[in-house]
Parts: sequence; C-alpha cells; structure tokens
Amino acid sequence: MILRDFFDKLKPNFSKGGRFEKLSSTFEAFESFAFTPNTVTGGKVGSAYRGSHIRDAVDLKRTIITVVIALLPALLFGMWNIGHQTAMSYGLDWGFWHQFWFGFLRMLPIIVVSYVVGLAIEFLFAEIRHEEVSEGFIGTGLIIAMIVPVTVPLWQLAIAVAFAVIIGKEVFGGSGYNFLNPALVARAFLFFSYPSHMSGDSVWIAQPFHFAGDAISGATPLGQLMAGQPLQASALDMFIGTIPGSTCETSVIAILLGALLLLTTGIASWRIMLSVIIGGGLMGLLFNAIGANEYMQLPFYYHYLMGGFAFGCVFMATDPVTAAQTNTGKWIYGFLIGAFAVLLRVLNPAYPEGMMLAILLMNCFAPLIDHCVVASNRNRRKKRWATAERRIA
Amino acid sequence: MSEIKIKKGLDIHIKGSAAPTVALADCDYYAVKPTDYVGLVPRLLVAEGDSVKAGTPLFEDKANPGIPFVSPIDGTVKAIVRGDKRALLAVVVSASEANNNNSSTELQYTDSDNVRHIMQQSGLWTLLRQRPFGIVPPASATSKGVFISAFDSSPLPVDMTFALTGRDKDFQTGIDVLHTLAGKVVMSLDANSQRNSFLAHVANADIHFVNGPHPAGLVGTLIAKTDPINKGETVWTVNAQDVATIGHYFSTGEYRPERCVALCGPVVNKPQYFRTLTGASISSICTKDSLAEPHSRIICGDVLSGTAVSPDGFLSAACDKISVLPEGDYYDFMGWLRPNFKKFSFSHTFLSGFFGKQLKNLQFDTGTHGSVRPLFVTGEFEKLVPLDIYPMQLIKACLVGDIELMEELGIYEVEPEDLALCEFADTSKTEIQAIVRAGLEKIRKES
Repeated sequence: MILRDFFDKLKPNFSKGGRFEKLSSTFEAFESFAFTPNTVTGGKVGSAYRGSHIRDAVDLKRTIITVVIALLPALLFGMWNIGHQTAMSYGLDWGFWHQFWFGFLRMLPIIVVSYVVGLAIEFLFAEIRHEEVSEGFIGTGLIIAMIVPVTVPLWQLAIAVAFAVIIGKEVFGGSGYNFLNPALVARAFLFFSYPSHMSGDSVWIAQPFHFAGDAISGATPLGQLMAGQPLQASALDMFIGTIPGSTCETSVIAILLGALLLLTTGIASWRIMLSVIIGGGLMGLLFNAIGANEYMQLPFYYHYLMGGFAFGCVFMATDPVTAAQTNTGKWIYGFLIGAFAVLLRVLNPAYPEGMMLAILLMNCFAPLIDHCVVASNRNRRKKRWATAERRIA
Repeated sequence: MSEIKIKKGLDIHIKGSAAPTVALADCDYYAVKPTDYVGLVPRLLVAEGDSVKAGTPLFEDKANPGIPFVSPIDGTVKAIVRGDKRALLAVVVSASEANNNNSSTELQYTDSDNVRHIMQQSGLWTLLRQRPFGIVPPASATSKGVFISAFDSSPLPVDMTFALTGRDKDFQTGIDVLHTLAGKVVMSLDANSQRNSFLAHVANADIHFVNGPHPAGLVGTLIAKTDPINKGETVWTVNAQDVATIGHYFSTGEYRPERCVALCGPVVNKPQYFRTLTGASISSICTKDSLAEPHSRIICGDVLSGTAVSPDGFLSAACDKISVLPEGDYYDFMGWLRPNFKKFSFSHTFLSGFFGKQLKNLQFDTGTHGSVRPLFVTGEFEKLVPLDIYPMQLIKACLVGDIELMEELGIYEVEPEDLALCEFADTSKTEIQAIVRAGLEKIRKES
C-alpha cells in the first residue's frame, strides 16, 4: 500500500537518533491516525508474555470518533439554525441551502480555531513529555465550538481553548487525568472573563455578511424567562431547535439522535443520562409545587428543552473521565447535575444557564461520591473480616 | 450440591476448540521451570548428566526448603537452562527407555500430618497453590479448604470430563487425600454439561454447579461465591488433573503427572487432545506442521491469562491446553473508523459486538488494536467481574501501591486471571494482570 510505504520510509527520521527525533509524537499521531498500530500484546513478538493475549478491537480513537459521529446531527442542525435565525431576524429570503451555507461559513472559523489552538497545545505537550498525542481533544474541540454563541470573538475563543487545555487538562497530566470537563472549562472561562460577549440578547444571532446597520438581538428562552418576559418559543420549537441559542445545542431532536448512538454503542452511561433527566424533572416538579413566580410555574419538561440541558446531559455529564466512575456513583452524580441545573436556572439571578455550572460543580464532587460508594464496599469487607475472626476466636 | 448463577462475564468464541480425540504425544524431553511459580527462588539439587527417576528432586525453593520440585519422568538431566544474571529458567530431563517397575504400593491417607509429609516429600505439594498470592503453600501452612474448578469456561475450553477419562478412581482418591489434608474440598462443575459426568458423583467434596459466562469456570469465582477469603486467611487451589496425579501416587506410590492437553486455536490444523506428562516439550504436541499459519504465538494455558512459550519450550505447570493464535503485528488502515464485522469488541462500537454470540468466524490475533492510554472509559470492568469488588478502584490501588486500600478493596480475593477479562476489554490497553500481580507481590514481600 502506497500510504504505508510512505510512512515506513519516513519513520526512521522520526525514530530515536533520526533527524526529526523531536517530532516523534507528531509523527506517531499522524501514523496511528492512518493506521491502527501493529503492536502486539506483550510488547513484541516472541516475548514470554503472561496475560491476555487477545484484546478487544475497541481503542480510544474508536471511542472518541463515536462521540464525534454522535455530535454530527446537532452540528449540522446548528449550522442550518444559525442561517435560519439570521434570515428570520433580518427578514432575509434565504432558502434552506443558503441558510445552511451561511451557518457553515460562520461555524467553520470557530471549529478551526478551537481545533488548531487545542491540538497545537496537545501536540506540544506530547512532544515535551515524549508521549503519544491523545485523541481526547478531537471530541472536546468540537464540543467547545458547539456550545459558544455564534458571535464569539475568535481571539477570545482561542484564549479560552488554551486555558481549558493547559489549566483544565495538561497540568494534571493530560487526557484521562483531568477532573473538570475541558469543554466546560473553556465555556466557563469565556463566561466569566467576557460576560458581555457570552450572555444577554445580542450575541445569539449572527449578522449577515456585509451588513452595515445595527445588530438585531434575539433572546434565548432562558434569557426571556430571566428577564420576566413571556416565552416566545413554543415547546415544539424548542424541541426541534429553531430558537436562538449557542451554536449547536438548541435542537433536542438532533441531540437525541446522538444520544441514541452513544447508548447503543455503550460509549456513554445510560445511568448518568437517565439520572440527569430524573434529577432535573424532580427539581422542576418541586418548583411547580411551590409556584411562587412564573418561572417556578414553568412546566418541568420545559427545562429539558431549553438551553444546554439536553446537550450537557448527553455529551458532557457523561464524559467518563470527569464523571463518577462507580455505577451507584453515576446515579447520584447525574441526579445532582439535573437538580442543580434547574435550581440554578430558577433561583440564581445572575446566570440564565445552570447546566454548565451544575456539571462543573459535580465534576468536583465526583471523586467524593465514588469514595463514599466504594467505602461501603470496603466497610462490608472489613465487617466480614471481623465476623470471620470472631468465628475463629 | 448447590447451584451458583453468575450473570457478569463474557464468553469469547474462538474457532478451533479441541475435538474429543486423543493422540499420544511422543516426547523425548521434559522440563520443570522455576518461572512457572510465583516468587520462587530456586536452589538447584541436580547437575547436568545426573540420572533421575520420576519423583527425583530437581530443585527447591530457598524460602521453603524441604519441598522439592521433582522430575516428571525417568531419565538424565540434559540441560540446566539459565537466563539473565544466571537465573535458573528450566531443568531439562531427557527421558530414558521406559522401565516399568510394577511394584505398586498403596499409601495410607487417614492422617492429615502424614498426608502433608508424604506430599511434601514426593513433590505433590508443589501442585498446590495458595491464595492469596498464588504461591506454593509454605511447609507448615494451613488453609480453610481446597478449591477445585473442574471445568473450563475460558475461550477454547477444555472438556475436563473428557480430559479425565479413565482417571476417575485416581481422581476420587485424590479428593479423599485432599479432604484428609485440609478438612474441606470444594469443587465447581459446569451446570450445563457436567451434571451426568462422573465428577458430579465424587464423594468427600462440596460440589457446586456454576451457570453463566466466563469467568464461571475460574476457581476464584468459586471461592468468592462460596467462601470468600478474609484478611489473614488462606485457601489452596489445585488443578483438576493434578488431583488425579495426587490420587495416583497414593494408590500406587508412583509419581506420574499425567496430563491430557488440548491443542487448540484458529490456526491449528487438527485441534485435539494429547496424552502426555507435565513439562512435556511443546514440539511433541505442536510442530510447524500442526499450524496453518507459521507466524503464530503458542500459549501455555488460555488466551486470556496464559504464558507465551517458544516452539522449543515446554509445558508450564498446571497447564491444560496449548492455545495458538496468529500474531497481530500488522497495520490496519483506518482501523479505528471502519465498521468491522471480523473483529470482536465487547463495547458495541463494532457491529460484531451486537452479534458476538452468533458470529462464530470472528478473527482473533495477538494485536492490541490500539495504543496504550491512561484509564479513560469507566463501567466496562463492572460488567465483566462477578466478584463483589470494584475492579477499576482495585487496579488503581495496585498502581499506587497503597496496601491498606488494596486489602480493603479485596485484593486477597483475586489472582490476576480473575481480572483477565478486564484486561481484554480495556479500551486503554492497560496490562491489568501485571498490575494486579505487582500489587500482590508488594503485599507478599512486605508481610
């Protein structure tokens, strides 16, 4: 195969003692992107290895690419919706493909900046550490692009991505060692550093190209509720996703398609998804019962349809690295995310969106939840030891 | 008799299970390998050229003197194989012409101390393994029972009833001997295929029928489900075929470690059983001509926890089968992206994952199918381990070497093989069994 020969020819240059030895991680990343490596169990052919000689066909690349495929429906819908919102707000007579093309052109720089900045840092750290480049950011980079407002200034996005990758991940050792979801770290960074570009009514609708007049604003449903205005969008609009919002997290239908893939492949935990929904629903019902203001009286299922609830539930709460790891822990972790998200939305006057903060908060508590769950197993074992000792004595 | 039902686990179907036919292995060389035993520091007791008999001590453990590891056959010491830093790797015995001395003497096994003495003198003691740690039990050790798994649920399973054909009397004697020694013998049988086997009617043993996927047939599962090991306790385990060897010795006074070994795997031309002795040369069972694919790995034991051996190597202790797999050192173009019906995955990210039970023609080889990563995905291991432990947390405790944490998370209840399925399924390609062994060794050395 020509491509294989090409890599084989280049390989000595990037191996130890080669001319580009310092770029070995970069070479490995491209090589293993094109070809699943030829490594065998036990390190090398002929070693007296003891262990499992066969391995599952899945690897982390496969896992991450499954997540990326699951993101595609939401991404494609989001691109169309960007154009759709602009066309509606500015009264433009755009057809379907025009709307999609416009959204594509607006999304492309966001995705490119997110990937280029993030991957450059990932490659750099891999070279410094003499490690292989982890594929984790392939998913994270796309998710970051999908949860920011379409009008986000690219330089701000670049700084946020750099912050998320370095402070959110690399200082802890890289993908797999971080305790906060890096995509949410990026969004939180933007939210707290540049609040005027991340919230309010003016950031959700992209201006048409070559437009000279004043920008037209469009409030998200959460923004309207916060301001005490009546909701303009119907539940169906919100379910389909034809509403202003972050680039690609408005359509619950598209997100559900992704969820379907994640659940059938077993990549994401159904326990977490289900418990987030239960937690959010119960908290919504609780507020319904109190009913002190209009926000509290909002039907509980509206919370599933608004803002980043569905997207966070499916794609971010389920990140295995930052979620609880035990099955029981996942129930608790998910439930609290759902409950806190709704709690923050309804009661906190400062932030219209509670999902991001709820997930980040529970990321911090996930190790504690696991500790308590595992402690019950440890205590049960110690009790068994004590009983056995008494029996002997 | 009782039933044990387990739900967690995974049966992996690989082509090439041994057909129920037996050939006689024609073997000239046998070896006893110190490397088969955990933590053994050998002291050599013979020199090259010495003539030995079946049962003659070859070496002993410096930490456990007086318990010899013995020759499986009459012959002369052909070679003493050493490796790095002159570590003893194997003592090779060349078999001499069989000289049958028919003087059979029956031994008494009514007294526990007497049984212990006989077993330690004769080399039979080295057939026992102690849990925790997987070592040969120290000379004065006691245990709360002997646990035996008399069936194989690992990929390419050995039919243990078939392998023990004709040795039923020896097997019963062996069980009686072990019952005298330890006071309690617990045995697991396959609920689906062994209810009518002679093994189901063995006396002096608590028999449990286990139903469920692999690791149903691991002795660790039996122990955990019937009498889990507490801190400070020990149990002994022994291979089912070795039970018959023990019985044969007590019936006749002859040390004859007979073995019915399955040669199996997808590249084996004629998968079947071979009758031989432990320590037989691999070449007497598996030659180049037996394999359809020369670039293959020969594994003593099952493909999930066995040891790779070279074609001129020897059978390991307590090994019931030789599994042969094609090596997987090839590049797979865009392997992470293509939908693949040929490769098996537990994760359902491959289409084969949905039809794992139906698809019989899946390809298995020794490739890792990906690069090593930090532990990333969660929830995989919990579906594969039927024991009351948290595998991920236990593995991490082993990695950091926190003894108290390892203990409380149940390290004493596992041997590496009990977590072999986790190692198989791990997305991050972590060498979990080596990590668990290192954790156990750390505790053993510090206690």
